[in-house]
Amino acid sequence: MNDINKVTEILEKLCSADGVAGYEEEVRVIIEEMVKPYADEMFADALGNLFVFKKGKNRREKPLVVSAHMDEVGFMAREITEKGMIKFLTVGSVDPRVMIGRKMKVGPKKVPGVISLKAIHLTTPKERTVAPAAGSLYIDIGATSKKEAEKYVQIGDPCYFDSPYEEFGDQRIKAKAIDDRVGCAVMVQLLSEELEYDTWFVFGTNEEIGGNRGAVVAANRLNPGYFLVIEGTTACDVPDVPAHGHSTTQGEGVAVSIMDKGSIYSRPLIDAMTKRATEEGIKWQYRRSSNGFTDARAFHSAAAGAKGMGIAVPTRYIHSAVNVAYKPDIEAVLRMARLYVKECSDNA
Amino acid sequence: MTLKEKIKTLGNAYGVSGDEFAVAKIAAELLAPYVDKVEVDEFGNVSGYKSCGKPGAKKLMLDAHIDEIGFLVTGITKEGFIRFMGMGVDPRMLPGSTLNVMTKKHGNILGVVGAVPPHLQAPGDQTKALPIDKLYVDVGMPYEQVKEMVRIGDYMTFTSEAFDLLGDQVCGKSLDDRACFCCLLHALELLQGKELDVDLIVIGTTKEEIGGHGASYRTYVDKPDLAVAIDVCHARTDDNLPGDRVQDLGGGPVITIGTNSVPRFARKVIEIARAKDIPYQLSGAPAATGTNAWSMQIINEGCATLVVSLPLKYMHSPVEVLKMSDVENVGRLLAELALDIDGRWQI
Repeated sequence: MNDINKVTEILEKLCSADGVAGYEEEVRVIIEEMVKPYADEMFADALGNLFVFKKGKNRREKPLVVSAHMDEVGFMAREITEKGMIKFLTVGSVDPRVMIGRKMKVGPKKVPGVISLKAIHLTTPKERTVAPAAGSLYIDIGATSKKEAEKYVQIGDPCYFDSPYEEFGDQRIKAKAIDDRVGCAVMVQLLSEELEYDTWFVFGTNEEIGGNRGAVVAANRLNPGYFLVIEGTTACDVPDVPAHGHSTTQGEGVAVSIMDKGSIYSRPLIDAMTKRATEEGIKWQYRRSSNGFTDARAFHSAAAGAKGMGIAVPTRYIHSAVNVAYKPDIEAVLRMARLYVKECSDNA
Repeated sequence: MTLKEKIKTLGNAYGVSGDEFAVAKIAAELLAPYVDKVEVDEFGNVSGYKSCGKPGAKKLMLDAHIDEIGFLVTGITKEGFIRFMGMGVDPRMLPGSTLNVMTKKHGNILGVVGAVPPHLQAPGDQTKALPIDKLYVDVGMPYEQVKEMVRIGDYMTFTSEAFDLLGDQVCGKSLDDRACFCCLLHALELLQGKELDVDLIVIGTTKEEIGGHGASYRTYVDKPDLAVAIDVCHARTDDNLPGDRVQDLGGGPVITIGTNSVPRFARKVIEIARAKDIPYQLSGAPAATGTNAWSMQIINEGCATLVVSLPLKYMHSPVEVLKMSDVENVGRLLAELALDIDGRWQI
């Protein structure tokens, strides 16, 4: 099996699992099973971060940490109405406009539910120009009373888009949570390979709620000299958006961040690694936006600070039920990550 | 196949108004065991005939439509995305959904309706619904490939596999009105081995969502004495306003009374429901009913029409919701109506 098929097979398993911030355990257990055979050391910390250490042929003086986050954006039950409907909060940022008409998985039993609106026939054209706020929407699981609903869902339970992993079009993948299970999948694949140098892999938590709190404690613990954060980032190469607004473009390969709202990445490293990528025939592009931030924010400012890069898979419609990624881009990210882990050393 | 499996099978099938043939084929197969003869006409209407064998028997037509709401491809952008228009859909259902693009040469392909990325949004944008002409379908292919596969005028539908909710409720697309066709199948099931004094004409009709043309045609051809349109009506949801005309999910068949659902016919059916202990709800309709009964009533020399409805939540969405007890009770009511009609029956 070639590299990209291995990674997408892992990605399918990871995208089929559910985990918002604070509820990453289901994803973590799957990753633990996958990487156990390759780990020289493996443990989880108090925030649920999964640390995996793998020995390489050589030691590094300062540790390299490769990281991706396990949590996804989703929902949490906040109130169950007398009629058995579930009012919710979002965990992370979700545009309420992508919630309507979606199938949901609710609570620990993952009972099916839906978010919808009353029928079009009962609305006026003017009403249809207004997008309801998340606070006025609700999940309907078919319960007709609070008591009935409470058998299946409690306040505080996580809820998710129910949107299966599917491949379509020209080497495209559609799923929820590609942001950032794709980073996790690339890391699982790297762990299964022989490494040049000792490397730490951190499968992080709590990324989507801001503050990079999972990464902060991981960085504090490992005090890295170098880091690599692998993400799924916005690709806005869609109609009505001028090219300079695309941020990243599908088919142009691995997206390399220069800066964002949390980090300024190491320019010497960026220059060295992109030069090497070009030599190796790995397609790459700059991420042409400084919006958003990633766990790199925590790694590069931890302790005395670390140098590193942020790379990402250009992903359309992130934070919706239908993230879309392009397989050759994922492969480019894998190859770039592999190159980084191999060549980023104290001598680099 | 259980009644619920029939509902899911028909609901999951694809057939937008004007191209219902795939659905008609399934509907005809489901109908065949219960009737003497099944036909699919050139428009895609399905008709099943069950004769009582008695000369001069009245003809009772039972209708449900098998078309569904959908979308039409209107253009392909230079980036390879599909522009489209909707037929009967609230565009607020669309961002973040998946659609099934029904191409002529390459079969059904998956598309997703994109969402606006947060970095391009201005404050307050999330309160504004996106009109359909700002939306596009991403089929994950470059322009040349899309142009080869997808044609302007191709239909698209919501994709969704029907599933169960709590309380024996079913959720899926196109339960409007394929679930009502299954009500007819249930009625026929209940009539198995029973002696009738009426000839039954059971039809699954096309193009209801754009005007009831299929039902008009079948009424013209089959000339029923009595015609019942079985369609969905709005079931109460949590976001209804006091003025919304809604019925209760689980409250049983809704019997409409008004000029298009002939009052004397409706009163008889109410009596039958009472006598047979079938739960029912009432709905007054002073003029049009928004069902096939409207077009059927004035075909040829006219016929006595009745509207019986199945309560449905979130109509015209990819996640319509019904309750199985309502499906069963609609079927029961129609079976009892068929049993009640004899040679002396007058409206």
